Amino acid sequence: MSSESRAPQYEMVNVRDGHVIIEHDVRSRAVRSYFSAELTPPVEEYLEGQRLWRHSGAAQSFQFDVRDTASGEVIPFRELLGLMYYVCCREDSDLRRIGELAEAHRISIYVAITYETAEGEPTRLSREKAAVLNRLFNDRLIDKSKKILILPDLFGLYRDISYGQIMIDFGLTAMEESR
Amino acid sequence: MNLQELAQKMGLKLVTTAFDKEVRGVYISDMVSDVIANAKAGDLLVTVQIHSNVVAAANLLDLCGILVTQGKLPTDDVVKIAEKAEIPIYCTDLNGWQMATRLYEAGVR
Repeated sequence: MSSESRAPQYEMVNVRDGHVIIEHDVRSRAVRSYFSAELTPPVEEYLEGQRLWRHSGAAQSFQFDVRDTASGEVIPFRELLGLMYYVCCREDSDLRRIGELAEAHRISIYVAITYETAEGEPTRLSREKAAVLNRLFNDRLIDKSKKILILPDLFGLYRDISYGQIMIDFGLTAMEESR
Repeated sequence: MNLQELAQKMGLKLVTTAFDKEVRGVYISDMVSDVIANAKAGDLLVTVQIHSNVVAAANLLDLCGILVTQGKLPTDDVVKIAEKAEIPIYCTDLNGWQMATRLYEAGVR
């Protein structure tokens, strides 16, 4: 069977709408985010050990799992905050330079940005899961001369990007943010 | 039906190179997350959003193009991104509902 006619191996399942909630610790100024599937994004501040977490903002987003259509295995992607297209990165960044080179060969680079742990460090997206994401999106392309390459955040982008650069709907939830 | 032919028939304004592609369906949304979750390869995205992340989503899903409604125009930066990604962007003064009915009347399903 040719790859042209092959059915996609993976499908997006268990799509859950919700919000990316961004909060900061008022004492250390540490910032972190998490996904909430509640209809109204939570805005209350709360204590966690020595830290007092206060709401900073919210963006509409979604979470999903991926199902292997052959084996039926469901792979959760709870650590995935969103994807960032390389062109949304700073012009002088390594990712931008690599992305420009790749795009000339019809390879579009995206970086998978993950949620932070309680300590503010990003959750690691495994190589296996990155491979599944790549397969999920590439199998669906009509244009077979084009490729999508989704990389884990090997660039430490989580440290200096803004949430507006990630493919989530930041700024569409002004009513929630103004409380 | 190909996108260029459809655009000519409907009088849409092209703001990028045409990159003519086949229109396999239509998805109407103003939310990037919704587009990623629900749009399908070959769909024409009808939206009021002109943010670069809309182009990023269209490219990720191999949508056939973006149709921006309500007279909005993408910035030069967004046009450049769309050119690199080979995603055609068309614009119209009509709103999403008016565009949807016209696309349906034109035979797009």
